[in-house]
Amino acid sequence: MSAHADGDDKNYLNCETTLWSWISTVDHKRIGLMYLFTITAFFIVGGLAALTFRIELFSSGAQFLTPDQYNVLFTLHGAIMIFLFIVPGIPATMGNFLLPLMIGAKDVAFPRLNLLSYYIYVVGAAMALIAIFNPFDYILSGFSAEQAFNPADTGWTFYAPYSVKSGSAVVWMTGAAFVLGFSSILTGLNFIVTVHKLRCPGMTWNRLPVFVWALYATSVIQTLATPVVGMTLVLLIMERVMGVGIFDPSMGGDPVLYEHFFWFYSHPVVYIMVLPAFGVVGEIIPVFSRKPIFGYKMVVYASVAIAAVGFLVWAHHMFTSGISDWTAIYFSVATFGVAIPTAVKVFNWVSTMYKGSISFETPMLYAMAFIFLFMVAGTTGVYLATLAVDVYYHDTYFVVAHFHYTIQGGAVIGLIAALHFWFPKISGKMYNEPVAKLAWFLVFVGFNLTFLPQFVLGMEGMPRRYFDYLPEFQPMHRLSTIGSFINGFGYTFALLNLLYAAVFGRVKAPRNPYNSLSLEWKTASPPSHHNFDEDPEVDDYPYAYGTPVEGGGHH
Amino acid sequence: MFRYLPEQASEVAPKVDWLHHWITDLSVFFTVAICGAMLYFAVRYRKRDGVDHETPRIEGNNFLEIVWTVVPTIICVFVAYYGVVIYRDMVEVSEDPDQVVINGRGRQWAWDFQYQNGKVTTNEFVVPVNRPIRVVLTSTDVLHSFFLPAMRVKKDVVPGMYTYVSFTPVKEGEYHTFCTEYCGKDHSYMLASLKVVSQAEYDRWVNDRSAELMKASMSPAKLGAKLYYEKGCNACHSLDGSKVVGPTFLKLFGTERVFSDGSKATADENYIKNSILNPQSQIVEGYDAIPMPSFDGQINDNEITGIIEFLRGLDGSAPAPEQPEADEEKGQGEDLSALSPVERGKWVYENKLCITCHSLDGSKLVGPSFKGLYGREGELNDGSTYVANDEYIQKSIMDPASQIVKGYQPLMPPYAQQLGDEDVQGVIEYLKTLKE
Amino acid sequence: MSSSNEATVSGPPHAHHWDPVTAYHGSKLGMWLFLATEILLFGVLFTAFAIFRYLYMEEFHHASQYLDWKMGAINTAVLIFSSFTAVLGVDAAQHGDNKKTFRWLCVTVACGFIFLIVKYLEYSHKAHIGLFPFIECNDHAQFCWDSVEFKNEFKMYFGLYYCMTMLHALHVIIGMGILTWALLKAKKNRYSTDYYTPVEMGALYWHLVDLIWIYLFPLLYLVD
Repeated sequence: MSAHADGDDKNYLNCETTLWSWISTVDHKRIGLMYLFTITAFFIVGGLAALTFRIELFSSGAQFLTPDQYNVLFTLHGAIMIFLFIVPGIPATMGNFLLPLMIGAKDVAFPRLNLLSYYIYVVGAAMALIAIFNPFDYILSGFSAEQAFNPADTGWTFYAPYSVKSGSAVVWMTGAAFVLGFSSILTGLNFIVTVHKLRCPGMTWNRLPVFVWALYATSVIQTLATPVVGMTLVLLIMERVMGVGIFDPSMGGDPVLYEHFFWFYSHPVVYIMVLPAFGVVGEIIPVFSRKPIFGYKMVVYASVAIAAVGFLVWAHHMFTSGISDWTAIYFSVATFGVAIPTAVKVFNWVSTMYKGSISFETPMLYAMAFIFLFMVAGTTGVYLATLAVDVYYHDTYFVVAHFHYTIQGGAVIGLIAALHFWFPKISGKMYNEPVAKLAWFLVFVGFNLTFLPQFVLGMEGMPRRYFDYLPEFQPMHRLSTIGSFINGFGYTFALLNLLYAAVFGRVKAPRNPYNSLSLEWKTASPPSHHNFDEDPEVDDYPYAYGTPVEGGGHH
Repeated sequence: MFRYLPEQASEVAPKVDWLHHWITDLSVFFTVAICGAMLYFAVRYRKRDGVDHETPRIEGNNFLEIVWTVVPTIICVFVAYYGVVIYRDMVEVSEDPDQVVINGRGRQWAWDFQYQNGKVTTNEFVVPVNRPIRVVLTSTDVLHSFFLPAMRVKKDVVPGMYTYVSFTPVKEGEYHTFCTEYCGKDHSYMLASLKVVSQAEYDRWVNDRSAELMKASMSPAKLGAKLYYEKGCNACHSLDGSKVVGPTFLKLFGTERVFSDGSKATADENYIKNSILNPQSQIVEGYDAIPMPSFDGQINDNEITGIIEFLRGLDGSAPAPEQPEADEEKGQGEDLSALSPVERGKWVYENKLCITCHSLDGSKLVGPSFKGLYGREGELNDGSTYVANDEYIQKSIMDPASQIVKGYQPLMPPYAQQLGDEDVQGVIEYLKTLKE
Repeated sequence: MSSSNEATVSGPPHAHHWDPVTAYHGSKLGMWLFLATEILLFGVLFTAFAIFRYLYMEEFHHASQYLDWKMGAINTAVLIFSSFTAVLGVDAAQHGDNKKTFRWLCVTVACGFIFLIVKYLEYSHKAHIGLFPFIECNDHAQFCWDSVEFKNEFKMYFGLYYCMTMLHALHVIIGMGILTWALLKAKKNRYSTDYYTPVEMGALYWHLVDLIWIYLFPLLYLVD
């Protein structure tokens, strides 16, 4: 049907090659790629910030940073990684690229809105850069040296009243988070309408790939939770600019109210990060096990349940904040409501491998690593949901380790797994498998070496966001710093390997290198501008692997 | 496995740890079981020789799925239940009249504690063992959090609001207190030490007000000199004219200051007060690289007067005071070795606050008069009798609570830490001269 | 957009990847979702207002007396009327009557202008008596925002008042923009009984703007 259908070598990458054709594109695949490059740049910045302060923390006592510089660095690490990297993370990159392909659509529902989301993201990112380099303060102060580098130092949570009193970069950083939120909202809205309205013939709700279900659940959270934090950050800016005093107790305001508003968004946002990664793992394991995903419906319901319950548990970040005991008890019990669907998912993934024909390509290795890391993340989450134990662990390194297992071990590993898995489809090339496996090994070992010691530190009572620490914490901090560098090398190898293959790679990818049944593999690698040469149609869900057997359950 | 929690120093700690270790064991069990199953499947069902073998299309199993929904649910219910029960133990407000209530205050970046008798400490507090303790917390600036790892309690410290932690320490010792809510530059140095001591030692400690009394009776200039070191002014302001981070204090008072915006002012009393409370409002030319923190809320008017007097005295005519060491403080810069024992005793009487409570004219103040005290006989409040000989007087100075004269309150602080043998001997000789 | 789509430019947008009926329903779904996010956006402000009104009932009541309820009432009437004209515009578009659509949408946008003018008059009065941040203190003003005498509860009330009404005014301006875009299409005779999505979406948005004001008016002006 498309004008390009006749030429095999015409695809979305080379159908137009001018710079303008990229920056003005409404093609979901190109927008996905543009997101991918932008967030990777921020991933590198955020990662370098982390490595810098890990060096500082190598030994007890002040090393080469001042406390202020340290505070700036962990704030930048958190804010960049959360708002600029991992929230857009999988949905805006892989989701944009794959969602229409997986449901057999030619594009998302609102392609121009999609491009607008990207540019809103760029504006938000620019504001974050202003917050980092803070040029206006520098210029306005008549180029005074003390204002030369004066970024936000509040932590990514911007807790009032410190954020109201701290330097002016906070306004830019919160403004950036607000703008980025709108990008997130519009992407979510776009995906919801796409899933509702653009499924190809035969693609019923029960046949949607689990990745699409995960994106759908994610989009609902993005759409409903983000406005709240957006407005909260606006109130914070108002507070600074007009002196309104809503969060300032010296003016009759309430700082705990800020925490409620903030976590009302920022807890669900954890599921924005990690649900798509669940989806990725749910796609990879069946393909490399040659088995249907075990309990498709349960896996899907679990995603939706996590998204729904995720809205009702926010104050478990605030057990020690001075909320009433009954509030704390409710939020503790509700939080266990998230643990159950999460556990169900893990059981289902592992069972999928039972009696499979399992091969260990890099995506499968990442998926298996994901299961281990997420087991650790999930079980340590139980400590934090348990009221009496969380009182001890709140704001210690245990929490730091827990959420890095969730977000890095979950979402980032999920993103890297997805990049490797769909790399042939995106680039039309194959990457170097041994190098990818080496990188996987470094990432896995480095990651665990970084964060397992942090659990021990948390158990020993080490509080988080500490520039300096007592000498007894030093051995574990050293292990952690060494691990962080191995981890960093691992990511560097993995990304360079993919970049090299995409640019210089000689091995052309076939349409379907893994014999997957999912729709995105039915079209060319890389796909043509309009995704499919013929209008696709499906008659089963994409996991009908293996030979039908008696009593094999039912789909 | 994974038993890294610090020692259990409170009543609730073993309960928390019990639940904690249960969760740990369950977590390890499930992680090993699930990842073990995954690895077993990975090896057992691996693809051999690069060829896929036939796989069964197993799409699910209702029974299994129900089992692994229900089993975690049951475990979660139990864990959540005990979490709540132990939490209620932890936050329970004690009705015990024996409870010790301490007011704690967080500020950037120190902890202040105030006891019921008005005793105030910074960054250290002492509690008696085996009595319920309640620390009522608030903040003067931003959020902090009060964390006692050994007691397993933690609470955020919120400006404009009172929160509390309560615990019953069961083990004597010294423990860490951390700030666990990020609060700015020196968050990681916002530590306090908690000493759990015996009831007797606690009584002694809490009634020992000598340090505060000493400060209250100091001359303003001496107080200023003390604060100069205590508050850390010395880190940035020299006394010898050298330029550190901030301007030197030598000959600063009364001079004309030129500010970075070009305006000028004389360094008078008001200027110094303003510089301490609002340092950003007037930055001296050439010193705008590192801004001075405001001491607003951390220093009272009396102390500001002290610093003003201290600066006024730094006119270059006398050598600047050195940082008082613990030993030197006894002499407060005066040479005592030349004094005779009686003179030494008189000096101690006037400078170590004996004078506040013990008269020389026979009138009854807080304590018995020193007039005619030496050699006196009388009754103690436990009914026994005493003779005011050398031994009695020495004991009264070092451990006053052990022998309280009938009709007086046990208010005198012990001087064991503050006076040497020569001082005590001097007091005895001095008392001898006060015989009727 | 790529060259292969340019042939369809004169038709309704998105025609290249979905049929007009799906496009209409899709746009409607998207719009409703967007309206949900808008309500959540204002929801935060409503929550904050409710909490502090509960805490500082008396001061908020006192502060609200500095608002002119008559101005608010005029604006309420203007917006309700404009919602009505927007509905008439949609009805005309559904019947393919581009001329009527154009006319009714013009009335709606004009109402938006009236609303903004009234709002401007209110704000400038506040600024005159000193009830406005960023205004330097002067002698003839009744209040001074930055002075120590200015009550914290007043600051909170007017802070929330400006936050809510300015955000709402921004929505009015955006709504006017969307409706202007929709009425220019009517001018070019783009609508037919098969295609009237922009008018309907613009009107939906406009109803939301109206609805939020209907909540804001009693909340802020009629605190009693």
